[in-house]
Amino acid sequence: MVVITQPVAENGTPPTILETRDVVKIYGGGQNPTRALNGIGFTVAAGEFVGVMGASGSGKTTLLNCVSTIDTVTSGHILIDGQDITQLRQKDLARFRRQSLGFVFQDFNLLDTLTGRENIALALTILRRPPREVDRRVEAVAAVLGIEPVLDKFPYQMSGGQRQRVASARAIVTEPALVLADEPTGALDSKAAKDLLESFRLLVRQRSATILMVTHDAFAASHCDRILFIRDGQLFYQLVRGDQSRKVFFDQIMRVVGAMGGDPDDVG
Amino acid sequence: MTSADLALRNVRKNLRDYTIYFLTLTFGVCVFYSFNAVESQQAIMGASASSGLVFQDFSQIIALVSIFVSLVLGLLILYANRFLVRRRKKEFGIYLTLGMSRGRVSRILIGETVLVGLLSLLTGLALGVSLSQGMALVTAKLMRLPIERMQFVFSPQALIKTTVYFGVIFLLLLVFNTVMVSRQKLINLIQANSRGEWFRTPRLGVSVAMFMVALGCLAVAYAMVLVGGPARALDVSTLRWVLLLVAVGTGLFFFALSGFLIKLLQRRRAIYLRGLNTFVVRQLSSKINTAHVSITLVCLMLAVSIGTLSLGLGVSKSIAYELGRGAPFDATFRAAANPAAGPAYRGVDLTAALEEVGLPLETVASRSLAVRYYEAGLTVPLWLTQNGREERYDVRAYLLRLSDYNAVLALMGQPQIALPQGRYAVNYAVTNAAMARATEAYIASKPTIDLAGERLTAGPDTFHRQVMEVLRNQDFDMTMVVPDRLVEGLPPARDVLHLDYLDPKDRSEALVQQAEDLLRTDSTTRLSLWTRLEVESFADSTSVMLAYVAIYLGLVFLIAAAAVLAIGQLSDMSDSLGRYRTLRQIGTDDKMVDRAVLAQSLTYFGLPLALALAHAVVGLVVAERLLGAFDKGSVVGSGLFTVAVLAVVYGGYFLATYQGSKAMLRRQS
Ligand SMILES: Nc1ncnc2c1ncn2[C@@H]1O[C@H](COP(=O)(O)OP(=O)(O)OP(=O)(O)O)[C@@H](O)[C@H]1O
Ligand SMILES: [Mg+2]
Repeated sequence: MVVITQPVAENGTPPTILETRDVVKIYGGGQNPTRALNGIGFTVAAGEFVGVMGASGSGKTTLLNCVSTIDTVTSGHILIDGQDITQLRQKDLARFRRQSLGFVFQDFNLLDTLTGRENIALALTILRRPPREVDRRVEAVAAVLGIEPVLDKFPYQMSGGQRQRVASARAIVTEPALVLADEPTGALDSKAAKDLLESFRLLVRQRSATILMVTHDAFAASHCDRILFIRDGQLFYQLVRGDQSRKVFFDQIMRVVGAMGGDPDDVG
Repeated sequence: MTSADLALRNVRKNLRDYTIYFLTLTFGVCVFYSFNAVESQQAIMGASASSGLVFQDFSQIIALVSIFVSLVLGLLILYANRFLVRRRKKEFGIYLTLGMSRGRVSRILIGETVLVGLLSLLTGLALGVSLSQGMALVTAKLMRLPIERMQFVFSPQALIKTTVYFGVIFLLLLVFNTVMVSRQKLINLIQANSRGEWFRTPRLGVSVAMFMVALGCLAVAYAMVLVGGPARALDVSTLRWVLLLVAVGTGLFFFALSGFLIKLLQRRRAIYLRGLNTFVVRQLSSKINTAHVSITLVCLMLAVSIGTLSLGLGVSKSIAYELGRGAPFDATFRAAANPAAGPAYRGVDLTAALEEVGLPLETVASRSLAVRYYEAGLTVPLWLTQNGREERYDVRAYLLRLSDYNAVLALMGQPQIALPQGRYAVNYAVTNAAMARATEAYIASKPTIDLAGERLTAGPDTFHRQVMEVLRNQDFDMTMVVPDRLVEGLPPARDVLHLDYLDPKDRSEALVQQAEDLLRTDSTTRLSLWTRLEVESFADSTSVMLAYVAIYLGLVFLIAAAAVLAIGQLSDMSDSLGRYRTLRQIGTDDKMVDRAVLAQSLTYFGLPLALALAHAVVGLVVAERLLGAFDKGSVVGSGLFTVAVLAVVYGGYFLATYQGSKAMLRRQS
């Protein structure tokens, strides 16, 4: 087991926006409990674009659900902007979610009765934004993600990739402080994936948003500033891109991914 | 495993889905049986034996309602079936993908339909039979009938009718479901859940056009019954068209509404883009769009229910009043020809006959009057408009001396009449609106009669509508009042003896009733006695029964309507749980969601109610015209009663549905 030193906020470095401390999530007590998260702890600084990688079933979605307050932790703490969200009341959680979080779900979770435009707009209307601003912002984000042609279609009339991008648009249209994305590029071709990742990057740079993105794809991960590798519900390793080129970072990621099956010490 | 086993296992596995289907079927069978048994119950109690024309009107209404009932039940079951099949489509798709033959899947579905059909038929019949027992008991109580006379009410005709009718419905369902499985493309079955039907909103132009057509249909239907004034006769064939137009108009209204609504609201960005409004409007429009048939049914059922509830009480009160009119004295003895023995009536001195059996009049009556009617072989042809055709209806008329007529009037405390030279008067206490119209038309034609070589003329100025004897049903004869001398030598038609009792009245009543049992005459004569007490209690019981049937029917329709809405709303809620989960995930709080659910429930329950109220009000106007004017005071009273029933039943269902929906949401979170 590798002990990972947490990056400490020094003077001049951005403040921590997200911190998890010993988070444990156990599904279904009784006979056969699953420890989906097993004491995971890490921090994310404001304005960081962080990737989360790990084998299927390693607990990535669970982690995101806990951070997004959709699910509750079994034990441990999650601090967002210094606020312990595991202690928040139901009503404040909802407000927190619609004001500060954007979530791109692994299975899209678009409302099937609403058109693409209405799905995206909903994130703004529940914030009671004026209609004119809603229309303008939806158009703008649709242009960034290249989904203008499907705006007035219903989800069942879209391809998987289009649905994915509409879901991403809904997550970022409110310009939230923290975007949680569960495999947002899973159903996209490489061009579309690149566009989405670049719009994420734009969000980080221009709006100083923070993004936590689960991905299986090393190429997608190479767009991130830092990668957290998760195994069996624990933090297994992390990689920081620093000043390296994306190509170099990509190769490093590939090496960790290759070593994931074995011991972290194998990682050179 | 055989298909039958699989069907059985499926029913058990899908018990939750089948519950709604099963309940609907059972409910339908129960209602259908009970409703049909009501008629036989009515027959058992002998109320309809007095076949006055009042009851013909009543059974006409029952016939009209019956058209609705059978239609409603058939479609109700189709609705429940559709709801079930929709939830199962995916499962059948999976069977097919797994390589099961279409024939086998069909057999499984047939097995399920037959199983549930049989079960619900049996349960529904059992429920229906016990329900009609309870009904009969309560009725007997209200009518103060001895319970012994109310045996086990079981109507074999209703049983057979129910079984045959539902057998046909099940057969249709079988065909429908089998065709559904064999004709569907696999992809449609598998995507049944994901591919909703909500998107099929027609284009704005089409929606608007259809909406206008719907409003047009309703306007024409309303105009057909409202325009033309009370004098216009409304026959059944016109009503059939009106009903058709109302049904089509209502159906189109709800069919076009969702498209219309959504386009309209989408243009109002400030409303559409506020909070969860987009979501609510989409939910509603998808629901109205997929459920427009059931919402139409609900609306029609509600209209029938509201109409029946408020009309039933009003009509029953006015009928009670009309029947009560048939008692101007405390008692009337009648002697007339025995129809079995032919027309040979020789006349009876009722006063003497009573004295013979030990009842001198002065021991029971404070006042009495014996009157004889005479036979001159007169019949009056009345022309009734029925089912769009003119029908001849012959009424027998008897002669009465002017002095006798005035004596009866005096006994009743009414002013005397005089007959000008060459005139005769007609007295006909007709209550039925159609008959009254026909009679007025006859009188207006200034009819003449020839008596002893003299020609006499009647006219509106010599037409009276006095009830001149105590009679239970309203088969009043037509009487022609002529100058005394003209009946000289004519054979008697009947004798009547009117009595007003001495106090104590119940003692007099008992004596009079005893005397009636003792009276004996020869076979050519039929004797009868009606007392005010009998007539009034008959009036009471008839009115109670009518009110009872009306309330029963109205309640059944109301509950059925509310149940359909509740099923629709709750099943829609369970289909939408995923959407609400998504809403919560993107940060909608409970309060917003609750408000969205409330808005949907309110609209869902409110829209059909609003249109139904309009239908019902128009329907009441029509009914008033069909039945003749009835007591306006009672209309207000029964209106209030209806509102109270609506508030309790419909409001109760609404609250239960809203709470149930919220509970579903809480459970999933
Ligand atoms: N609701 C649940 N109830 C019980 N177990 C669950 C539940 N959700 C997830 N799990 C279990 O928790 C573990 C982690 O699941 P999770 O969905 O977080 O994996 P993941 O890393 O997102 O996988 P993937 O890459 O396939 O999406 C798995 O073993 C899964 O079976
Ligand atoms: Mg996952």
